[in-house]
Amino acid sequence: MSWAQAILLARGLSRGWGDICGPLLGAPFSQVPLRAARGLHCSAAARNSDSWLVPPPPEPRKGPGPTKALALHEELFQQAPAGARDKANFVRAVQNFGQHNVHKRGHVDFIYLALRKMREYGVERDLAVYNLLLDVFPKEVFRPRSIIQSIFIHYPRQQECGIAVLEQMESHGVMPNKETEFLLIQIFGRKSYPMLKFVRMKLWFSRFKNINPFPVPRDLPQDPVDLAKLGLRHMEPNLSATVTIYQMPSSKDSTGAADPAEPHIVGIQTPDQQAALANHNPARPVFVEGPFSLWLRDKCVYYHILRADLLPPEERLDLDYGRSGWDDYEFDIHKVEEGPVFAICMAGAHDQATLAKWIQGLQETNPALAQIPVVFRLAGSTGELRESSSGVKEPPPPPPEGQEEEEDNQQRQQQGQS
Amino acid sequence: MAWVHRFLNGAYIFRHYPKPSASCPFLGTRFAYYCSSSLQKPEAAPGKTSCQRNSEGDLQGHHQKEVVLDITSPEEKPEVSFDKAIKDEIMDHFRRLKDDIVNHWIGPEGRPLHEVLLEQAKVVWQFRGKEDLDKWVVTSDKIIGGRSEVFLKMGKNNQSALLYGTLSSEAPKDGESGRSGYCAMISRIPRGPFERKRSYDWSQFNTLYLRVRGDGRPWMVNIRGDTDLIQRKNQMYSYFMFTRGGPYWQEVKIPFSKFFFSNQGRIRDAQYPLLLDKISSIGFTLADKVDGPFFLEIDFIGVFTDPAHTEEFAYENSPELNPRLFK
Repeated sequence: MSWAQAILLARGLSRGWGDICGPLLGAPFSQVPLRAARGLHCSAAARNSDSWLVPPPPEPRKGPGPTKALALHEELFQQAPAGARDKANFVRAVQNFGQHNVHKRGHVDFIYLALRKMREYGVERDLAVYNLLLDVFPKEVFRPRSIIQSIFIHYPRQQECGIAVLEQMESHGVMPNKETEFLLIQIFGRKSYPMLKFVRMKLWFSRFKNINPFPVPRDLPQDPVDLAKLGLRHMEPNLSATVTIYQMPSSKDSTGAADPAEPHIVGIQTPDQQAALANHNPARPVFVEGPFSLWLRDKCVYYHILRADLLPPEERLDLDYGRSGWDDYEFDIHKVEEGPVFAICMAGAHDQATLAKWIQGLQETNPALAQIPVVFRLAGSTGELRESSSGVKEPPPPPPEGQEEEEDNQQRQQQGQS
Repeated sequence: MAWVHRFLNGAYIFRHYPKPSASCPFLGTRFAYYCSSSLQKPEAAPGKTSCQRNSEGDLQGHHQKEVVLDITSPEEKPEVSFDKAIKDEIMDHFRRLKDDIVNHWIGPEGRPLHEVLLEQAKVVWQFRGKEDLDKWVVTSDKIIGGRSEVFLKMGKNNQSALLYGTLSSEAPKDGESGRSGYCAMISRIPRGPFERKRSYDWSQFNTLYLRVRGDGRPWMVNIRGDTDLIQRKNQMYSYFMFTRGGPYWQEVKIPFSKFFFSNQGRIRDAQYPLLLDKISSIGFTLADKVDGPFFLEIDFIGVFTDPAHTEEFAYENSPELNPRLFK
């Protein structure tokens, strides 16, 4: 038997062994029969190479800097300068993997690495990039060809990797398309686990696509005023409410940071609320409460409300509709009642001065507000994300209370003068 | 006898407690870890008996963890005499047994039958006092080593319950969890005399009603049926609850036909409708992968019959995923 024949036989045997030993021993074995399979199809030049050997581990990086061990193929992702992490560079890195590496050694590790890097490059919700990543898999090799192969999980590491790609798509809410389906069939076959996961994703995503009764757009506006308008419209169910911008942020730099001296103030009020405020008894104060948090997808914005306390029971109108015994859908419980809300606003800063400007702006459309004392019940003064419980009725510490009274006296004086 | 039963019950829970991940078989290196259904619900008894257990001595190692979980138990543990406490418990249980037998003559759960049959709206959980908070347990991924925190307290004017905390999706560095970040509030299983498990019977109702005020985050409502059998230990029915955010109270109505079936944290291919005659508990979970503080204020939870809702089950089984059902 000649040398070439011996090698062919050995490769065939090792491929067979690799299928059985793969589930038992893991990654290193599955790579050898992979390359052996390619070796049978490709040209004579590759056949003579010593593809028996497992690829050597990457050399440790020399030079200054921390000697952290790089993951395999990580240098492909470092060719772009640090500032330009975008889709084009990511796509180029993925394509570079295939170019220098005809046999696609270590594609499983590369795909895991690329999945980890997607977030940095900002492409985690891009379906085309996921399809490109699935394209890295060699085709037609992992499809089971006999019943025994399809009973056992054929090429389990690769199937796990395919499932990991689909799982990252699922967690970012990316719906796969026909191209993904075709790729999966080409790579793994129709009865494989990634294909099963794809069918499940198609089913459950389409079932749950529109179940949110209060949808928020995926791409939130970057401008804080637009975000405030979106948030206010999201909170107010009454569609006849009007959004008013009381103050725009004064300086707009390239970074879009609002000037701390003049933050934006955007408010919303419905005609019903306007009427209720006009009828409000001036002897009872109204309160500015806040800030409360509102989450729009992954952004948290804060809002304040203008509300009055509940009327005491004797002054309340009790509208009790009579119901027959058969149609009793009311719950036998006294629902939590809170005082009426007159307006909501979102502002860039959460201090009293900004909210006072909001009240002044409100007075233009609600002249009755001039006579009503306004008390500020603000919890905390920092603008960062913190646990704010809604409407916690803690008694304010004495010094701010004194300031509040002072403030509303000043308000009245200002209102008297203006 | 009650003491022995509770000791065994406690020991059973603590034996299973340190390995919540063992019940989730999909815990490979790279699989997701959605843990809320695989948690062993720590059914801690009220604070008095946890005093008794603490005085045991051989459960020392575990009672620290019990304190972490049992956030709704009162802070101050009054000094009670051991024998008197046991005697009181036993008398209490016998009294409940007597009430139970007497109520059986009046009707289901002590209410006359005509009232139960004609009922169309029922309040199941309300939050008007501290004792209502004791019926709930809060958990978070601190158990598996994550960083989320969650607390439950009474809200404004003792008229509502406030569930608040911080969600952190940083995965614990234990080599096997890929993702993390969830908080949950689960109701305790209703107990009869001698701590027998009872269940809720909602077969006349078809919609779940919640009056909540959230902050815009999406929650998941989970309903568990009878969990005594091993096969049913991690099964639950879930659906999503989207909160609007804002200062107005929101009424969420979820028909029971919309709940989908899941086992061990994964949606199953074979879907069956939720059976309402033996509900053990309900829970709310937040796991929306967004780090940051959250809050949810709940006024009450009820069930009612919506006459306009005629759907029996919202999910068809597909022949592609489940050919055996269509033979």
